[in-house]
Amino acid sequence: MSKPVPPEKLAQAGAWLAALGVPAILLALLGFLLWRGVPGLSLALFFADTPPLAALRGAPVFDGLWPACLGTLALVALATAIAVPLGVASGIYLAEYATGRAKALLAFAIDLLAGIPSILMGLFGFALILFLRRTVAPDANTGLLLSALCLAVLVLPYVIGTTRLALENLPLQLRLTGASLGLSPGRTVRHLLLPAALPGIFSGVMLAVGRAAEDTAVILMTGVVANAGAPASLTGKYEALPFHIYYLAAEHQSPAELTQAFAAALVLLALTGLMFLAARVLQTRLERQWTTEPTP
Amino acid sequence: MDHRTDALNPAAIRIRHLSVSFANRPVLRDLSLDIPAGGLTFLLGRSGSGKTTLLRAINRLNECLPGCATCGQIELQLGATRLDAYAPSTPVEELRRRAGMVFQSPNVLPLSIARNLSLPLAVTLGLGAAECEARTEQALREVHLWNEVKNRLGAPAATLSGGQQQRLCLARTLALRPDILLLDEPTASLDFKAARQIEELLAELKLRYTLLVVSHSLSQAHRLADQVFVLHDGQRIEALPESTFRDKEALMSALDELV
Amino acid sequence: MPRGNITPSLLLFATLVSALSVLAIFGFLLWFAAPVFTGETLSSLLSWQWRPQQGEFGILPMLAGSLCLAGSAMLLAYPLGLGLCCFMHGLGPTWAARPLLGIVRGMTSVPTVVYGLVSAFLLIPLIRAGFSGSGFSWLAAGLTLAMLILPTIVLILDSQFRTIHAQTQLTAAALGFTPAQQVLRLTLPLSTRGLLVAAALGFGRAIGDTLIPLMLAGNAPLLPHSPLDPLRTLTSHIALVVATDSQSAAYGSLFACGVILFMVSLLVNLALRRLRHE
Repeated sequence: MSKPVPPEKLAQAGAWLAALGVPAILLALLGFLLWRGVPGLSLALFFADTPPLAALRGAPVFDGLWPACLGTLALVALATAIAVPLGVASGIYLAEYATGRAKALLAFAIDLLAGIPSILMGLFGFALILFLRRTVAPDANTGLLLSALCLAVLVLPYVIGTTRLALENLPLQLRLTGASLGLSPGRTVRHLLLPAALPGIFSGVMLAVGRAAEDTAVILMTGVVANAGAPASLTGKYEALPFHIYYLAAEHQSPAELTQAFAAALVLLALTGLMFLAARVLQTRLERQWTTEPTP
Repeated sequence: MDHRTDALNPAAIRIRHLSVSFANRPVLRDLSLDIPAGGLTFLLGRSGSGKTTLLRAINRLNECLPGCATCGQIELQLGATRLDAYAPSTPVEELRRRAGMVFQSPNVLPLSIARNLSLPLAVTLGLGAAECEARTEQALREVHLWNEVKNRLGAPAATLSGGQQQRLCLARTLALRPDILLLDEPTASLDFKAARQIEELLAELKLRYTLLVVSHSLSQAHRLADQVFVLHDGQRIEALPESTFRDKEALMSALDELV
Repeated sequence: MPRGNITPSLLLFATLVSALSVLAIFGFLLWFAAPVFTGETLSSLLSWQWRPQQGEFGILPMLAGSLCLAGSAMLLAYPLGLGLCCFMHGLGPTWAARPLLGIVRGMTSVPTVVYGLVSAFLLIPLIRAGFSGSGFSWLAAGLTLAMLILPTIVLILDSQFRTIHAQTQLTAAALGFTPAQQVLRLTLPLSTRGLLVAAALGFGRAIGDTLIPLMLAGNAPLLPHSPLDPLRTLTSHIALVVATDSQSAAYGSLFACGVILFMVSLLVNLALRRLRHE
């Protein structure tokens, strides 16, 4: 008669399997990416046949990543320019001014926004163009600004959430200090709470930048194309890094193009990884700021 | 019944050269102490003198806190076995079960009243449901809580009053049948009446268990203690002679000098 | 008005804009989907045939595809995430918890398209070699999607475990619980709410992802009969129809898919709200 395995041992085995399996899968993923992508990393990856300095001055680049990088840069800059003021203001309002039912309702709307699939943001942009065509602007078309707007809506909840959390997690004492100094609530927010919450708010911005840089579904619907050159106008078509990778994965004509896709994936991963690390550093700094040393 | 330390009856807890530090800040330095078997030993000292850390060194609970480093030796007499607390082969869970602890503020688990007692019995001793139930009732009777809770054993433990919660915690520890009881200011968070109830319990329990109570209440020590030690700044420990702590005036003046 | 004072009305305006963008999205979707929710087109929509050339716009295969894929990804990721959390909170060595959590946090920063690319050239050939067919399948998309939603599940469970652990650790240790007993007999049973929240958010994330099914699932608008069959989700359907730019009659079904997806996220959020307020 064999003894049944005790459930605790079974759970332990499962936990070890997960704890070893997940890092192993990630290692395989990263290893594969490096193996296929590193050979493609060079200046030529970005600029192809165009001399780099000339490209930086605006000479057209064919076959290189440079236009896609510029496109992603423009996209992220525009999206954060829209999302950050709006998001920080909303976060401050929710944390410091909203009360009762209004607060619950507004917070629910923001939570809902955070849960909406990114493809629906793209569909929203697409619908907006259809709407404009039928009403005021018959020749409206998808383009850079539309994508940036939809991406801004996508990352808005990140900015609002981190701003709100950074403010709400500040110690009560700081608020009391403001009040005891005779500062009005508005001035307390502006001069005491906001500066203290700034690292947290910045971490939200970094997360938003990373998310805006990596999303593909939204721009797929709102104006990204495979060959547009450097972005020329707010309403024009453009290239972007994640779409470039997606496009090459499906439509590559040669092994060299596929290598370019893997190299581009490395570049994108480095970019989002950097944003993530910056956000983490800021968050830990914020946490350290308000925790005193542990006492036994 | 009187068991005092003598050659035939070795110390229940024998501490030698104990040092404990947290994040490289020393809390206890080179302490040595013998706690006699049986009876109630009080450990007095100012807040911050390291009493709680000393108590938690005995059941190795300091290890659950971050940045703790312990060195020195602690020996415990648990039933017939003598256990070196910090030896690598020591089963730390058994040590903690047999040197039961009651905390300063009642630390009920977020479970029902009955579950607070039966879960540890089922998990740590592997007892069946019937045995758990029997021991639960017995332990609750031992702390005079049974009549108050027998009709609502399924209610959340948090619905009890502070004094009841503390007695529940005591019962939970007793149900595991410990050999030594470590109590960390067991009445500090309670009102006067509830504190008195606990004190009466301690007076009953000291006839059957070795009790080590950390406190800063002089009057409590005066009423209950069989033995009193005073801890100074984590580095000097001193036994008070019985004549001193039996006399309230003498106790006061002695402590004024010592502390 | 004194300078240096933040005007609450301006902040309120910004908040309203943010909150109303949800309504705007829903409004647009509903407006464009409205024509198909009437009469005959509705029955055409609720069929299993997607043949736009013949005027058949059934979206049921896509709905089934979304549910199959999200469900299977959850089935893989949830036990894995639970195992990881239990490992970090008592089943594994203490020193391993922090680096492991760091790795999971780092996973959130991996772009979806990178997962898609690597899977397309690492996992798909493996499936093709191990079985038959093209390799672009429910299985490939499900495995990859599981990795994508894993951090969502783990991070929520971890924060719940952390809260419970902080409340009960010293007590349980003093009663003689081993770390393994603490997590299995105390922390886990007391974390019901976190377990449900993680399930809801993980599912929402799985059903909303576009790129993984688009790149890996093969995209045939058919009900899959085995994990090796291709499938098409609501999300990838939207992307595909817009990209192929077929006649505008297909657009109606597009927005119908959008409304369904929106409803799913609404349901998930209502469930979360109930959980948080319980």
